[in-house]
Amino acid sequence: MNYTLRIAGQDIPIEANRVDDETISAAVNDKNVTVRYRNVSANQLYLEVNGEAVNAFISDDGTGKIVHVDGIAYLVQDAEELARSAGRKKGGKDMPQEITPPMPSVVVSVMVSEGDEVEKGQSVVVVSAMKMETTLSAPFKGKVTKINVKEGQKVMPGEILVDIEKCAEEEIKAL
Amino acid sequence: MFDKILIANRGEIAVRIIATCREMGIKTVAVYSEVDKDSLHVLEADQAVCLGSAEPAESYLNMDKLIAACRKTEAQAIHPGYGFLAENAGFAARCKKEDIVFIGPSPQAIEDLGDKTVARRIMSKSGVPVIPGMMQPEADPNVLSKEAEKIGYPVFIKAAAGGGGKGMRIVRNKNDFLEACDAASREAKNAFGNGAIYLEKFIEKPRHVEFQILADGHGNVIHLLERECSIQRRHQKIIEETPSTALTPKLRKEMGKAAVAAAKASGYVNAGTVEFILDEDGKFYFLEVNTRLQVEHPVTEMITGIDLVRRQLEIAAGGKLNIKQSDVAGRGHAIECRIYAENPLEAFMPSPGKIHFVREPRGPGIRNDCGVYSGFTVPMEYDPILAKLIVYAETRKDCISRMIRALNEYVILGVMTPIPFLIDILKTQAFQDGETYTDFIDKHFADWSPVLSGKDMAAIAFIVDALSSRRRSVTVTTADAEANSPWKTLGNFRP
Repeated sequence: MNYTLRIAGQDIPIEANRVDDETISAAVNDKNVTVRYRNVSANQLYLEVNGEAVNAFISDDGTGKIVHVDGIAYLVQDAEELARSAGRKKGGKDMPQEITPPMPSVVVSVMVSEGDEVEKGQSVVVVSAMKMETTLSAPFKGKVTKINVKEGQKVMPGEILVDIEKCAEEEIKAL
Repeated sequence: MFDKILIANRGEIAVRIIATCREMGIKTVAVYSEVDKDSLHVLEADQAVCLGSAEPAESYLNMDKLIAACRKTEAQAIHPGYGFLAENAGFAARCKKEDIVFIGPSPQAIEDLGDKTVARRIMSKSGVPVIPGMMQPEADPNVLSKEAEKIGYPVFIKAAAGGGGKGMRIVRNKNDFLEACDAASREAKNAFGNGAIYLEKFIEKPRHVEFQILADGHGNVIHLLERECSIQRRHQKIIEETPSTALTPKLRKEMGKAAVAAAKASGYVNAGTVEFILDEDGKFYFLEVNTRLQVEHPVTEMITGIDLVRRQLEIAAGGKLNIKQSDVAGRGHAIECRIYAENPLEAFMPSPGKIHFVREPRGPGIRNDCGVYSGFTVPMEYDPILAKLIVYAETRKDCISRMIRALNEYVILGVMTPIPFLIDILKTQAFQDGETYTDFIDKHFADWSPVLSGKDMAAIAFIVDALSSRRRSVTVTTADAEANSPWKTLGNFRP
C-alpha cells in the first residue's frame, strides 16, 4: 500500500506492507525498514525499527493524528485525503484574507465600525487567549461591511469576526 | 495550626498547596469557575466551591464570593497562591476585617511593595541599591520624555503596579519613546487597572537573580539563597535555577544581606522574594519584592530541603521560625522548566484545548508540579501554565542532562508545548557555560525553529497505528470527517 503523509509542511511518501501480526515492512523516503510493533495502550506503540527501540505516542486530532516521537509531537495527515477535502471545501490560501482569530479566544475590542474605510494593516479587532492579546489587522484596503462579534464574545479559528470588502483598486491590483 | 484552609487559586499551584496541606493534616477547600469544574485542583481538594462564570472578575478575583465560600466551608485561612489576588492589598485587608487569616504579608506591606516606586523609595532609604531612575510614577509624556533624556537611553518603561512583564518596554531610541509609553500604559491599565508608568535605566547584559526570604511575625528574617531566572521570553521567566553560576560566596552573602534588609525595611512577614538585577561587574540593584509564593519556588525547596508552603502556613498561624540563617545550606543543583500551553512553531501563540494524553517524566531527581491530566480541556481564559518540571542533581552539568532526559520523556498530546524549545536552550553551549543574561532568547533564539529529525519515524508510527486495528475514542473529529477517513477502513485492513 502506498501513502503520502504530510508532516510539518513536507509530504513524505511511504510504502507499507504487513508481514505478520506484529511486523510490517516499509519504505519511507525510499529507505527500507522492518518494523516490529506492539500495541502498549490506546495511545502508545512500542516499535523496533530495524532493531532499534522507539516509543511512539499517538492520539487522533481532527484532520489527522498527533504522533510524538523523540521529544517532539508532530501532526501527521494523509496528504491525499487533505487534497480531497480541500477540493470539496474552499481552496487553500497562503495569506490570511479574513479577520479570524489564530486560536480559540475572547474578543477584547472591536476597533472599527460598519461603513469604515480601512487601510491595509490597520488594526481591526483585538482578541485575547490565556492572557495574551493578539491584534488582527486588515489584510487589504477596503470597507467594513459587517461586524459579526461584540466585546467579550468567545470566538474560534475560522470564524469571520469582521467582513471587509476589498476596495476597487485592490481588486484591480489583484488581477 | 489551621484545621482547614481555602485555596483562592487554580491549576498546578493549587494542587501543590493541597499536597503540603494533606501532609500536615489540614483540610483544603478548592474554589473554581464553571470552566474549571474538572480541573485537577477541584478533584484533589477535600471540598470544592463553584464561584461563578469563567471571567476572573466573576470567580477567582471576586472577593465577596471568596469570603462567602470561606464562611460556608468554615475555612480559617486563605492561601492565595500566585497571580489573581495574591498581591492584592485590598483582599488581604478584607480577609483581616472578616477575621480570616490571609497566608501572606500584611496589607500595608503588599501595598507598599506593590507600588514599584514606593518600594524603590523604601529600599533606597534603607541602603538597598536601586537602579537609577524615577521614584514616582508619571503620566505626562513631556515629563517622561525629559526624564528619559536625563537617565539616558536605553531606558526601561515599567508599570508602577507591574509584574509578569505586563506594561514593560525597552526603548533604545528617542523616536520610539512616546509610542512605547502609550502602549505600556495601556497594557498596564488592562492588566492591573492602573496605567501609571515610570522609567528606569536599562542595564545591559543583566542577569535576574532573586532571593527567597522567610520572615515570621516575631522579627526573625532569613533568606533561603538565590534563584537565577535570566532565561525569559517576553519578560516571562521560562527556565529558573539555583544556585546561580554568577554568584561567588562573597556576592551571595552581600545580596542575601540586602534581601533580608529589604524584607525588614518593609515590615515583611511570610514568604517573599526580593528580585535583583545583577550586572556584568557583579553590581546588583533592587528590582522588586514579590509578596507571594513564586512560581519557581520549587528549585529552592529542592536544594534547601525546606517546604516553603509548610513554612508559610506555620508563619501565618503565628509560629516562630525555628531555623537560623546559619542552618540554611544549599546542596546540589536544581532547574525548573515551565511547561506552557503554547505553540513553539507559531510564535508561541497560546494553545488551549483538550489534552488527549499525558505521560509525565519520572525517575531519579524529578519533580513535576502539574495541573493537568489526560482528557482535561485547558481553558482559554487563564494563564497558559500547565506544569512545572523541576529536576535536581549533584552538579549543574548533571542537572542539565537530567532535565533534557526528563523533557524528552514528557509527552503531552493535544495542546502544543515549548518542550522542544526548552531542550534546545539547555543544549546550547552558552547555557551550559552559564552565559545566561536576560537577552539570552533574543540573542540565541530569535530565529529558532525545531530540528524535525523524527518526521520519518512519525510517518512509520502513523502507518503502524493505522494498520494495527487499534481502538481509540474519537474526540474532535466531526461526523463528516470521520465518514471520509481512510483510517477507519485501514483499521480493518488485512492484506
